[in-house]
Amino acid sequence: MTAPLLEVRDLSKAFGNVVTANNLNLSLTAGVLTSIIGPNGAGKSTLINILTGFIPPDSGRIIFQSQDITYEPIYRRVRLGLCRSFQVVNVFTGLTLFENISIPILAAHRRANGLFSTVSGEKAVREEAHRILQRIGLQEQGDLPASALSHGDQRVLEVGIALAARPKLLFLDEPTAGMNPVERIKILENIRQLSQEGEVTFVIVEHDMDIVFSLSERVIVLHRGDVIGDGPPEQIKADPHVREVYLGEEVVA
Amino acid sequence: MNRSWTYILAALGIAVLIGIGLFSSRFILYLTMRVMILSIFAMGYNILFGRTGLLSFGHAAFYATGAYGVALCTIHVHSHPVLAVVAGVIAAAVMALIIGFFCVRHTEIYFAMLTLAFGMMVFSLMWNVRGITGGDDGLSGIIRAPISLGLISIPIMKDSQYYFFVLMFFVVSVLLIHRIGRSPFGLVLASIRENHVRTEFAGLPVKRYRLAAFVISGAFAGLAGGLAVFLESNVTPFAAHWSRSADPVLVSLMGGLQTFSGPLVGSVLFVVLRELIERFTHNWMLWFGLILLAIIMGFRGGIVGSTAALLKRSSEQG
Repeated sequence: MTAPLLEVRDLSKAFGNVVTANNLNLSLTAGVLTSIIGPNGAGKSTLINILTGFIPPDSGRIIFQSQDITYEPIYRRVRLGLCRSFQVVNVFTGLTLFENISIPILAAHRRANGLFSTVSGEKAVREEAHRILQRIGLQEQGDLPASALSHGDQRVLEVGIALAARPKLLFLDEPTAGMNPVERIKILENIRQLSQEGEVTFVIVEHDMDIVFSLSERVIVLHRGDVIGDGPPEQIKADPHVREVYLGEEVVA
Repeated sequence: MNRSWTYILAALGIAVLIGIGLFSSRFILYLTMRVMILSIFAMGYNILFGRTGLLSFGHAAFYATGAYGVALCTIHVHSHPVLAVVAGVIAAAVMALIIGFFCVRHTEIYFAMLTLAFGMMVFSLMWNVRGITGGDDGLSGIIRAPISLGLISIPIMKDSQYYFFVLMFFVVSVLLIHRIGRSPFGLVLASIRENHVRTEFAGLPVKRYRLAAFVISGAFAGLAGGLAVFLESNVTPFAAHWSRSADPVLVSLMGGLQTFSGPLVGSVLFVVLRELIERFTHNWMLWFGLILLAIIMGFRGGIVGSTAALLKRSSEQG
Protein backbone atom coordinates (compact mmCIF):
# COMPACT_ATOMS: atom_id res chain seq x y z
CA MET A 1 0.00 0.00 0.00
CA THR A 2 1.25 3.49 -0.79
CA ALA A 3 1.85 6.10 1.87
CA PRO A 4 -1.23 8.20 2.63
CA LEU A 5 -1.48 11.66 1.10
CA LEU A 6 -2.32 13.24 4.42
CA GLU A 7 -2.04 11.78 7.86
CA VAL A 8 -3.42 13.27 11.05
CA ARG A 9 -2.05 11.94 14.32
CA ASP A 10 -3.64 12.57 17.73
CA LEU A 11 -4.92 15.98 16.72
CA SER A 12 -6.64 17.96 19.47
CA LYS A 13 -8.16 21.39 19.62
CA ALA A 14 -10.45 22.95 22.17
CA PHE A 15 -11.93 26.44 22.41
CA GLY A 16 -12.40 26.80 26.14
CA ASN A 17 -14.69 23.92 27.09
CA VAL A 18 -15.76 23.22 23.56
CA VAL A 19 -13.76 20.33 22.17
CA THR A 20 -13.63 20.52 18.38
CA ALA A 21 -11.00 17.86 17.81
CA ASN A 22 -10.48 15.08 20.29
CA ASN A 23 -7.35 13.03 19.58
CA LEU A 24 -8.30 12.68 15.94
CA ASN A 25 -6.51 10.13 13.83
CA LEU A 26 -7.21 10.15 10.13
CA SER A 27 -5.46 9.31 6.95
CA LEU A 28 -6.49 10.36 3.47
CA THR A 29 -5.55 8.35 0.41
CA ALA A 30 -4.70 9.97 -2.89
CA GLY A 31 -7.50 9.77 -5.43
CA VAL A 32 -10.29 8.92 -3.00
CA LEU A 33 -13.03 11.52 -3.05
CA THR A 34 -13.88 11.96 0.61
CA SER A 35 -16.70 13.80 2.32
CA ILE A 36 -16.75 14.99 5.89
CA ILE A 37 -20.20 15.26 7.42
CA GLY A 38 -21.56 15.86 10.87
CA PRO A 39 -24.06 18.05 12.71
CA ASN A 40 -23.41 21.76 13.19
CA GLY A 41 -20.56 22.28 15.62
CA ALA A 42 -19.11 18.83 14.98
CA GLY A 43 -15.73 20.35 14.18
CA LYS A 44 -15.73 20.01 10.38
CA SER A 45 -14.70 23.54 9.60
CA THR A 46 -12.26 23.62 12.50
CA LEU A 47 -10.62 20.49 11.17
CA ILE A 48 -10.16 22.09 7.75
CA ASN A 49 -8.90 25.26 9.39
CA ILE A 50 -6.30 23.30 11.34
CA LEU A 51 -5.21 21.15 8.42
CA THR A 52 -4.76 24.15 6.11
CA GLY A 53 -2.93 26.19 8.72
CA PHE A 54 -5.59 28.79 9.48
CA ILE A 55 -5.57 27.95 13.20
CA PRO A 56 -2.91 26.00 15.11
CA PRO A 57 -3.80 22.72 16.85
CA ASP A 58 -3.36 22.29 20.62
CA SER A 59 -1.47 19.06 20.05
CA GLY A 60 -0.91 16.41 17.44
CA ARG A 61 0.82 16.15 14.10
CA ILE A 62 -0.15 16.71 10.49
CA ILE A 63 1.86 14.85 7.87
CA PHE A 64 1.41 15.70 4.20
CA GLN A 65 3.20 13.50 1.70
CA SER A 66 5.55 12.19 4.40
CA GLN A 67 6.41 15.75 5.46
CA ASP A 68 5.50 17.18 8.84
CA ILE A 69 3.57 20.38 8.14
CA THR A 70 2.04 20.94 11.58
CA TYR A 71 3.76 24.30 11.99
CA GLU A 72 4.25 25.31 8.37
CA PRO A 73 2.73 28.66 7.38
CA ILE A 74 -0.31 28.69 5.12
CA TYR A 75 1.42 29.76 1.93
CA ARG A 76 3.97 26.96 2.19
CA ARG A 77 1.24 24.34 2.64
CA VAL A 78 -0.43 25.73 -0.47
CA ARG A 79 2.83 25.47 -2.38
CA LEU A 80 3.19 21.86 -1.27
CA GLY A 81 -0.23 21.21 -2.73
CA LEU A 82 -2.65 21.55 0.16
CA CYS A 83 -5.37 24.07 -0.62
CA ARG A 84 -8.92 24.98 0.28
CA SER A 85 -11.95 26.96 -0.70
CA PHE A 86 -14.15 28.84 1.71
CA GLN A 87 -17.67 28.51 2.99
CA VAL A 88 -18.38 32.18 2.32
CA VAL A 89 -17.44 34.06 -0.82
CA ASN A 90 -13.77 34.87 -0.43
CA VAL A 91 -12.57 36.21 -3.76
CA PHE A 92 -10.65 39.31 -4.84
CA THR A 93 -13.75 41.45 -5.30
CA GLY A 94 -12.18 44.46 -7.00
CA LEU A 95 -10.05 42.49 -9.46
CA THR A 96 -11.13 40.94 -12.74
CA LEU A 97 -11.90 37.23 -12.96
CA PHE A 98 -8.80 36.74 -15.03
CA GLU A 99 -6.69 38.39 -12.33
CA ASN A 100 -8.46 36.41 -9.62
CA ILE A 101 -7.43 33.17 -11.28
CA SER A 102 -3.97 34.42 -12.27
CA ILE A 103 -2.80 35.12 -8.72
CA PRO A 104 -2.55 31.50 -7.52
CA ILE A 105 -1.19 30.48 -10.93
CA LEU A 106 1.57 33.09 -10.68
CA ALA A 107 2.37 31.71 -7.24
CA ALA A 108 2.42 28.12 -8.49
CA HIS A 109 4.70 29.08 -11.39
CA ARG A 110 6.94 31.05 -9.01
CA ARG A 111 6.40 34.08 -11.21
CA ALA A 112 4.80 36.33 -8.61
CA ASN A 113 7.95 38.29 -7.72
CA GLY A 114 8.50 39.97 -11.09
CA LEU A 115 8.73 43.71 -10.51
CA PHE A 116 9.37 44.83 -14.06
CA SER A 117 7.86 42.05 -16.13
CA THR A 118 4.20 42.41 -17.04
CA VAL A 119 1.33 40.12 -16.16
CA SER A 120 0.18 40.24 -19.78
CA GLY A 121 3.63 39.01 -20.82
CA GLU A 122 3.33 35.80 -18.81
CA LYS A 123 2.08 33.60 -21.61
CA ALA A 124 1.97 30.29 -19.74
CA VAL A 125 0.10 31.89 -16.85
CA ARG A 126 -2.40 33.52 -19.20
CA GLU A 127 -3.11 30.28 -21.02
CA GLU A 128 -3.62 28.38 -17.79
CA ALA A 129 -5.94 31.08 -16.45
CA HIS A 130 -8.04 30.91 -19.59
CA ARG A 131 -8.18 27.13 -19.33
CA ILE A 132 -9.46 27.30 -15.78
CA LEU A 133 -11.98 30.01 -16.60
CA GLN A 134 -13.26 27.82 -19.40
CA ARG A 135 -13.38 24.83 -17.13
CA ILE A 136 -15.59 26.62 -14.61
CA GLY A 137 -17.62 28.20 -17.41
CA LEU A 138 -16.76 31.83 -16.76
CA GLN A 139 -14.50 32.49 -19.76
CA GLU A 140 -16.90 35.08 -21.19
CA GLN A 141 -16.68 37.19 -18.05
CA GLY A 142 -12.86 37.12 -17.77
CA ASP A 143 -12.47 40.90 -17.93
CA LEU A 144 -15.29 41.74 -15.52
CA PRO A 145 -14.53 42.52 -11.89
CA ALA A 146 -15.54 39.73 -9.53
CA SER A 147 -17.95 42.14 -7.84
CA ALA A 148 -20.07 42.15 -11.03
CA LEU A 149 -20.85 38.43 -10.72
CA SER A 150 -23.94 36.90 -9.17
CA HIS A 151 -23.50 35.29 -5.79
CA GLY A 152 -23.59 31.84 -7.32
CA ASP A 153 -20.97 32.69 -9.92
CA GLN A 154 -18.77 34.15 -7.20
CA ARG A 155 -19.01 30.77 -5.48
CA VAL A 156 -17.96 29.11 -8.73
CA LEU A 157 -15.02 31.52 -8.98
CA GLU A 158 -14.18 30.66 -5.38
CA VAL A 159 -13.68 27.03 -6.36
CA GLY A 160 -11.81 28.14 -9.48
CA ILE A 161 -9.25 30.10 -7.45
CA ALA A 162 -8.68 27.06 -5.26
CA LEU A 163 -8.17 24.87 -8.34
CA ALA A 164 -5.78 27.38 -9.90
CA ALA A 165 -3.30 26.86 -7.07
CA ARG A 166 -2.67 23.37 -8.55
CA PRO A 167 -3.55 21.49 -5.37
CA LYS A 168 -2.90 17.82 -4.84
CA LEU A 169 -5.32 17.81 -1.93
CA LEU A 170 -8.19 20.27 -2.00
CA PHE A 171 -10.63 20.92 0.82
CA LEU A 172 -13.92 22.35 -0.35
CA ASP A 173 -15.97 23.87 2.46
CA GLU A 174 -19.60 23.59 1.37
CA PRO A 175 -18.74 24.17 -2.28
CA THR A 176 -22.31 24.35 -3.53
CA ALA A 177 -23.84 26.54 -0.82
CA GLY A 178 -25.66 29.46 -2.42
CA MET A 179 -25.49 28.09 -5.96
CA ASN A 180 -28.48 27.59 -8.20
CA PRO A 181 -29.05 24.09 -9.62
CA VAL A 182 -27.25 24.86 -12.90
CA GLU A 183 -24.14 26.16 -11.16
CA ARG A 184 -24.31 23.28 -8.73
CA ILE A 185 -24.28 20.69 -11.48
CA LYS A 186 -21.44 22.51 -13.24
CA ILE A 187 -19.28 22.47 -10.11
CA LEU A 188 -20.11 18.89 -9.15
CA GLU A 189 -19.37 17.73 -12.70
CA ASN A 190 -16.02 19.51 -12.48
CA ILE A 191 -15.21 17.89 -9.16
CA ARG A 192 -16.16 14.45 -10.41
CA GLN A 193 -14.15 14.83 -13.60
CA LEU A 194 -11.04 16.28 -11.93
CA SER A 195 -11.19 13.56 -9.33
CA GLN A 196 -11.33 10.88 -12.02
CA GLU A 197 -8.38 12.43 -13.82
CA GLY A 198 -6.56 11.77 -10.59
CA GLU A 199 -4.54 14.97 -10.23
CA VAL A 200 -6.59 16.44 -7.41
CA THR A 201 -7.85 14.60 -4.36
CA PHE A 202 -10.99 16.26 -3.01
CA VAL A 203 -12.22 16.43 0.52
CA ILE A 204 -15.65 17.98 0.75
CA VAL A 205 -17.61 19.33 3.67
CA GLU A 206 -21.24 19.28 2.68
CA HIS A 207 -24.69 19.37 4.23
CA ASP A 208 -26.57 18.11 1.21
CA MET A 209 -26.70 14.34 1.72
CA ASP A 210 -27.68 13.69 -1.90
CA ILE A 211 -24.41 15.22 -3.01
CA VAL A 212 -22.43 13.44 -0.33
CA PHE A 213 -23.73 9.99 -1.10
CA SER A 214 -23.74 10.30 -4.87
CA LEU A 215 -20.30 11.86 -5.16
CA SER A 216 -18.03 10.44 -2.50
CA GLU A 217 -16.14 7.20 -2.27
CA ARG A 218 -15.56 7.60 1.43
CA VAL A 219 -17.52 9.38 4.13
CA ILE A 220 -16.16 10.49 7.48
CA VAL A 221 -18.66 11.41 10.18
CA LEU A 222 -17.59 13.83 12.90
CA HIS A 223 -19.44 14.42 16.12
CA ARG A 224 -18.13 16.69 18.90
CA GLY A 225 -14.56 16.30 17.75
CA ASP A 226 -14.68 12.52 17.39
CA VAL A 227 -14.82 10.34 14.31
CA ILE A 228 -17.94 8.24 14.80
CA GLY A 229 -18.11 6.74 11.34
CA ASP A 230 -15.70 6.20 8.49
CA GLY A 231 -16.24 4.13 5.38
CA PRO A 232 -17.91 3.88 1.99
CA PRO A 233 -21.26 5.70 1.66
CA GLU A 234 -23.39 2.50 1.85
CA GLN A 235 -21.75 1.48 5.09
CA ILE A 236 -22.25 4.94 6.61
CA LYS A 237 -25.89 4.99 5.55
CA ALA A 238 -26.42 1.68 7.29
CA ASP A 239 -24.43 2.49 10.43
CA PRO A 240 -26.91 2.61 13.35
CA HIS A 241 -24.76 4.91 15.48
CA VAL A 242 -24.36 7.45 12.71
CA ARG A 243 -28.08 7.36 11.99
CA GLU A 244 -28.80 7.94 15.63
CA VAL A 245 -26.69 11.10 16.06
CA TYR A 246 -26.91 12.64 12.68
CA LEU A 247 -28.56 11.18 9.65
CA GLY A 248 -31.70 9.99 11.35
CA GLU A 249 -34.86 10.75 9.53
CA GLU A 250 -33.13 12.48 6.63
CA VAL A 251 -31.96 9.20 5.11
CA VAL A 252 -34.90 7.13 6.18
CA ALA A 253 -37.20 9.54 4.47
CA MET B 1 -7.93 54.55 -21.41
CA ASN B 2 -6.68 53.72 -24.87
CA ARG B 3 -3.06 52.71 -24.94
CA SER B 4 -1.88 55.06 -27.68
CA TRP B 5 -3.58 57.92 -25.85
CA THR B 6 -1.48 57.12 -22.80
CA TYR B 7 1.69 57.37 -24.86
CA ILE B 8 0.60 60.64 -26.45
CA LEU B 9 -0.26 62.13 -23.06
CA ALA B 10 3.05 60.98 -21.59
CA ALA B 11 5.04 62.42 -24.50
CA LEU B 12 3.09 65.66 -24.23
CA GLY B 13 3.77 65.82 -20.50
CA ILE B 14 7.50 65.35 -20.96
CA ALA B 15 7.57 67.95 -23.74
CA VAL B 16 5.84 70.47 -21.49
CA LEU B 17 8.24 69.71 -18.64
CA ILE B 18 11.27 70.16 -20.92
CA GLY B 19 9.72 73.40 -22.20
CA ILE B 20 9.32 74.68 -18.65
CA GLY B 21 12.96 73.77 -17.99
CA LEU B 22 14.19 75.73 -21.01
CA PHE B 23 12.02 78.82 -20.99
CA SER B 24 10.56 79.47 -17.56
CA SER B 25 11.36 81.91 -14.83
CA ARG B 26 13.18 80.75 -11.72
CA PHE B 27 10.00 80.81 -9.70
CA ILE B 28 8.15 78.48 -12.05
CA LEU B 29 11.21 76.25 -12.21
CA TYR B 30 11.27 76.03 -8.44
CA LEU B 31 7.55 75.25 -8.21
CA THR B 32 7.76 72.60 -10.91
CA MET B 33 10.66 70.93 -9.15
CA ARG B 34 8.62 70.93 -5.94
CA VAL B 35 5.76 69.30 -7.83
CA MET B 36 8.02 66.63 -9.31
CA ILE B 37 9.64 65.85 -5.96
CA LEU B 38 6.28 65.62 -4.22
CA SER B 39 5.05 63.40 -7.08
CA ILE B 40 7.90 60.95 -6.58
CA PHE B 41 7.10 60.91 -2.86
CA ALA B 42 3.37 60.41 -3.40
CA MET B 43 3.52 57.92 -6.27
CA GLY B 44 5.96 55.74 -4.35
CA TYR B 45 3.77 56.08 -1.29
CA ASN B 46 0.72 55.05 -3.27
CA ILE B 47 2.31 51.66 -3.97
CA LEU B 48 1.75 51.05 -0.28
CA PHE B 49 -1.49 53.00 0.25
CA GLY B 50 -3.52 52.68 -2.93
CA ARG B 51 -2.10 49.39 -4.14
CA THR B 52 -1.49 47.31 -1.02
CA GLY B 53 -4.11 49.04 1.11
CA LEU B 54 -1.78 49.96 3.97
CA LEU B 55 -2.10 53.46 5.39
CA SER B 56 1.25 54.69 6.72
CA PHE B 57 1.59 57.84 8.80
CA GLY B 58 5.35 57.56 9.03
CA HIS B 59 6.79 58.04 5.58
CA ALA B 60 8.38 61.35 6.48
CA ALA B 61 10.92 59.22 8.33
CA PHE B 62 12.14 57.78 5.04
CA TYR B 63 11.89 61.11 3.27
CA ALA B 64 14.13 62.59 5.98
CA THR B 65 16.47 59.61 5.99
CA GLY B 66 16.99 60.09 2.27
CA ALA B 67 17.52 63.80 2.83
CA TYR B 68 20.07 63.35 5.61
CA GLY B 69 21.70 60.55 3.64
CA VAL B 70 22.29 62.89 0.71
CA ALA B 71 23.45 65.74 2.96
CA LEU B 72 25.85 63.60 4.99
CA CYS B 73 27.26 61.87 1.93
CA THR B 74 27.86 65.22 0.23
CA ILE B 75 29.53 66.73 3.30
CA HIS B 76 31.57 63.79 4.56
CA VAL B 77 32.07 61.26 1.77
CA HIS B 78 31.98 62.63 -1.73
CA SER B 79 30.23 65.51 -3.38
CA HIS B 80 29.17 63.61 -6.50
CA PRO B 81 25.41 64.27 -6.62
CA VAL B 82 24.44 60.94 -8.18
CA LEU B 83 26.44 59.05 -5.58
CA ALA B 84 24.78 61.09 -2.85
CA VAL B 85 21.29 60.40 -4.18
CA VAL B 86 22.04 56.68 -4.42
CA ALA B 87 23.35 56.72 -0.84
CA GLY B 88 20.21 58.55 0.30
CA VAL B 89 17.90 56.07 -1.40
CA ILE B 90 19.77 53.10 0.08
CA ALA B 91 19.70 54.66 3.55
CA ALA B 92 15.95 55.22 3.26
CA ALA B 93 15.37 51.67 2.02
CA VAL B 94 17.35 50.20 4.91
CA MET B 95 15.43 52.35 7.37
CA ALA B 96 12.17 51.18 5.76
CA LEU B 97 13.30 47.58 6.00
CA ILE B 98 13.97 47.89 9.73
CA ILE B 99 10.79 49.81 10.58
CA GLY B 100 8.69 47.82 8.12
CA PHE B 101 9.81 44.54 9.64
CA PHE B 102 7.86 45.42 12.78
CA CYS B 103 4.97 47.25 11.14
CA VAL B 104 3.85 44.72 8.51
CA ARG B 105 2.96 42.24 11.23
CA HIS B 106 -0.14 44.33 11.76
CA THR B 107 -2.78 45.86 9.54
CA GLU B 108 -5.20 48.75 9.41
CA ILE B 109 -5.24 51.06 12.42
CA TYR B 110 -2.49 49.14 14.26
CA PHE B 111 -0.24 49.39 11.25
CA ALA B 112 -0.97 53.10 10.89
CA MET B 113 -0.30 53.78 14.57
CA LEU B 114 2.96 51.82 14.51
CA THR B 115 4.23 53.78 11.53
CA LEU B 116 3.25 57.00 13.29
CA ALA B 117 5.14 55.94 16.43
CA PHE B 118 8.26 54.98 14.49
CA GLY B 119 8.03 58.21 12.50
CA MET B 120 7.99 60.25 15.71
CA MET B 121 10.96 58.30 17.03
CA VAL B 122 12.97 59.04 13.90
CA PHE B 123 12.02 62.71 14.18
CA SER B 124 13.23 63.01 17.76
CA LEU B 125 16.34 60.99 16.96
CA MET B 126 17.25 63.47 14.24
CA TRP B 127 16.47 66.33 16.57
CA ASN B 128 18.69 64.96 19.34
CA VAL B 129 21.72 63.46 17.62
CA ARG B 130 23.27 66.88 17.25
CA GLY B 131 26.73 65.60 16.35
CA ILE B 132 25.50 63.98 13.16
CA THR B 133 22.32 65.76 12.15
CA GLY B 134 23.07 69.22 13.48
CA GLY B 135 20.08 69.05 15.82
CA ASP B 136 17.35 71.62 15.27
CA ASP B 137 19.67 73.68 13.07
CA GLY B 138 19.89 70.81 10.63
CA LEU B 139 22.56 70.70 7.96
CA SER B 140 22.93 73.61 5.59
CA GLY B 141 25.09 74.80 2.76
CA ILE B 142 24.81 71.60 0.80
CA ILE B 143 26.28 72.39 -2.59
CA ARG B 144 25.34 70.99 -5.94
CA ALA B 145 28.68 69.87 -7.31
CA PRO B 146 28.94 69.12 -11.03
CA ILE B 147 28.16 65.58 -12.16
CA SER B 148 31.49 64.30 -13.34
CA LEU B 149 31.33 61.54 -15.91
CA GLY B 150 34.98 60.79 -16.53
CA LEU B 151 36.05 63.37 -19.12
CA ILE B 152 33.09 65.68 -19.08
CA SER B 153 31.27 67.14 -16.13
CA ILE B 154 27.76 68.55 -16.16
CA PRO B 155 27.11 71.52 -13.88
CA ILE B 156 23.84 71.53 -11.93
CA MET B 157 24.60 74.57 -9.81
CA LYS B 158 21.96 76.81 -11.35
CA ASP B 159 18.30 76.01 -10.88
CA SER B 160 17.82 75.79 -14.64
CA GLN B 161 20.48 73.05 -14.69
CA TYR B 162 19.37 71.22 -11.57
CA TYR B 163 15.86 71.16 -13.00
CA PHE B 164 16.91 68.56 -15.56
CA PHE B 165 18.55 66.46 -12.86
CA VAL B 166 15.22 66.34 -11.04
CA LEU B 167 13.33 65.78 -14.29
CA MET B 168 15.48 62.75 -15.10
CA PHE B 169 14.78 61.12 -11.73
CA PHE B 170 11.11 62.04 -12.04
CA VAL B 171 10.74 60.38 -15.44
CA VAL B 172 12.64 57.27 -14.34
CA SER B 173 10.50 57.02 -11.18
CA VAL B 174 7.26 57.37 -13.11
CA LEU B 175 8.33 54.67 -15.57
CA LEU B 176 9.40 52.32 -12.79
CA ILE B 177 6.21 52.81 -10.78
CA HIS B 178 4.11 52.39 -13.91
CA ARG B 179 5.89 49.16 -14.68
CA ILE B 180 5.47 47.86 -11.12
CA GLY B 181 1.74 48.54 -11.45
CA ARG B 182 1.46 46.12 -14.37
CA SER B 183 3.80 43.50 -12.98
CA PRO B 184 2.90 40.22 -11.26
CA PHE B 185 4.28 41.77 -8.08
CA GLY B 186 1.87 44.69 -8.48
CA LEU B 187 -1.05 42.31 -8.98
CA VAL B 188 -0.11 40.44 -5.80
CA LEU B 189 -0.11 43.74 -3.90
CA ALA B 190 -3.61 44.50 -5.22
CA SER B 191 -4.76 41.04 -4.20
CA ILE B 192 -3.46 41.69 -0.68
CA ARG B 193 -5.53 44.88 -0.58
CA GLU B 194 -8.61 43.05 -1.79
CA ASN B 195 -8.28 39.97 0.41
CA HIS B 196 -5.12 39.17 2.29
CA VAL B 197 -6.40 35.86 3.67
CA ARG B 198 -7.13 34.57 0.21
CA THR B 199 -3.74 35.79 -1.03
CA GLU B 200 -2.07 33.66 1.61
CA PHE B 201 -4.21 30.72 0.45
CA ALA B 202 -3.09 31.37 -3.10
CA GLY B 203 0.36 30.34 -1.91
CA LEU B 204 1.90 33.76 -1.32
CA PRO B 205 3.69 34.98 1.84
CA VAL B 206 1.63 38.12 2.46
CA LYS B 207 3.89 39.69 5.09
CA ARG B 208 6.91 39.48 2.85
CA TYR B 209 5.05 41.22 0.03
CA ARG B 210 3.81 43.88 2.41
CA LEU B 211 7.38 44.44 3.56
CA ALA B 212 8.61 44.65 -0.03
CA ALA B 213 5.95 47.25 -0.82
CA PHE B 214 6.93 49.14 2.32
CA VAL B 215 10.62 49.19 1.37
CA ILE B 216 9.94 50.22 -2.23
CA SER B 217 7.71 53.10 -1.15
CA GLY B 218 10.32 54.05 1.47
CA ALA B 219 13.04 54.12 -1.18
CA PHE B 220 11.00 56.50 -3.36
CA ALA B 221 10.36 58.67 -0.30
CA GLY B 222 14.12 58.74 0.24
CA LEU B 223 14.69 59.76 -3.36
CA ALA B 224 12.22 62.61 -2.96
CA GLY B 225 13.87 63.74 0.27
CA GLY B 226 17.32 63.59 -1.31
CA LEU B 227 16.29 65.67 -4.32
CA ALA B 228 14.65 68.19 -2.00
CA VAL B 229 17.90 68.67 -0.06
CA PHE B 230 19.75 69.72 -3.20
CA LEU B 231 16.87 72.00 -4.12
CA GLU B 232 16.74 73.80 -0.77
CA SER B 233 20.46 73.28 -0.01
CA ASN B 234 19.61 72.44 3.59
CA VAL B 235 17.74 69.91 5.71
CA THR B 236 16.23 70.13 9.20
CA PRO B 237 14.56 67.50 11.39
CA PHE B 238 11.22 68.91 10.28
CA ALA B 239 11.67 66.84 7.13
CA ALA B 240 10.78 63.92 9.41
CA HIS B 241 7.88 65.66 11.17
CA TRP B 242 4.60 63.77 11.15
CA SER B 243 2.90 66.62 9.34
CA ARG B 244 5.19 65.82 6.39
CA SER B 245 3.91 62.24 6.52
CA ALA B 246 0.46 63.59 5.83
CA ASP B 247 1.53 65.14 2.51
CA PRO B 248 1.52 61.95 0.41
CA VAL B 249 -1.71 60.80 2.07
CA LEU B 250 -3.50 64.04 1.16
CA VAL B 251 -1.99 64.14 -2.31
CA SER B 252 -3.05 60.55 -3.03
CA LEU B 253 -6.56 61.17 -1.74
CA MET B 254 -6.97 64.35 -3.77
CA GLY B 255 -5.73 62.83 -7.01
CA GLY B 256 -7.26 59.39 -6.65
CA LEU B 257 -6.07 56.40 -4.71
CA GLN B 258 -6.79 53.67 -7.21
CA THR B 259 -5.33 55.49 -10.18
CA PHE B 260 -1.82 55.65 -11.52
CA SER B 261 -1.76 59.36 -12.29
CA GLY B 262 -3.79 60.37 -9.23
CA PRO B 263 -0.79 61.21 -7.02
CA LEU B 264 0.72 63.18 -9.92
CA VAL B 265 -2.35 65.36 -10.37
CA GLY B 266 -2.69 65.61 -6.60
CA SER B 267 0.88 66.90 -6.31
CA VAL B 268 0.29 69.65 -8.86
CA LEU B 269 -2.86 70.71 -7.03
CA PHE B 270 -1.18 70.56 -3.63
CA VAL B 271 1.81 72.72 -4.55
CA VAL B 272 -0.04 75.19 -6.74
CA LEU B 273 -2.99 75.63 -4.37
CA ARG B 274 -0.70 76.16 -1.42
CA GLU B 275 1.32 78.72 -3.35
CA LEU B 276 -1.78 80.61 -4.43
CA ILE B 277 -3.46 80.58 -1.03
CA GLU B 278 -0.33 81.68 0.78
CA ARG B 279 -0.32 84.88 -1.25
CA PHE B 280 -3.59 85.96 0.30
CA THR B 281 -3.48 84.63 3.81
CA HIS B 282 -1.25 83.13 6.47
CA ASN B 283 -3.98 80.67 7.39
CA TRP B 284 -3.44 78.63 4.29
CA MET B 285 -4.29 75.44 6.16
CA LEU B 286 -7.84 76.62 6.83
CA TRP B 287 -8.53 77.28 3.17
CA PHE B 288 -6.66 74.23 2.05
CA GLY B 289 -8.70 72.14 4.47
CA LEU B 290 -11.91 73.49 2.98
CA ILE B 291 -10.78 72.70 -0.55
CA LEU B 292 -9.71 69.24 0.52
CA LEU B 293 -13.11 68.71 2.09
CA ALA B 294 -14.81 69.70 -1.14
CA ILE B 295 -12.61 67.39 -3.22
CA ILE B 296 -13.02 64.38 -0.95
CA MET B 297 -16.77 64.81 -0.59
CA GLY B 298 -17.47 65.95 -4.15
CA PHE B 299 -15.11 63.80 -6.17
CA ARG B 300 -15.35 60.16 -5.22
CA GLY B 301 -12.12 58.40 -6.11
CA GLY B 302 -10.23 61.68 -6.28
CA ILE B 303 -9.95 64.10 -9.20
CA VAL B 304 -8.56 61.50 -11.60
CA GLY B 305 -10.79 58.65 -10.45
CA SER B 306 -14.01 60.62 -10.69
CA THR B 307 -13.07 62.19 -14.03
CA ALA B 308 -12.29 58.78 -15.49
CA ALA B 309 -15.64 57.46 -14.24
CA LEU B 310 -17.41 60.48 -15.76
CA LEU B 311 -15.69 60.03 -19.13
CA LYS B 312 -16.56 56.36 -19.13
CA ARG B 313 -20.19 57.04 -18.39
CA SER B 314 -20.51 59.71 -21.07
CA SER B 315 -18.81 57.52 -23.67
CA GLU B 316 -21.17 54.68 -22.82
CA GLN B 317 -24.16 56.95 -23.29
CA GLY B 318 -22.89 58.62 -26.42
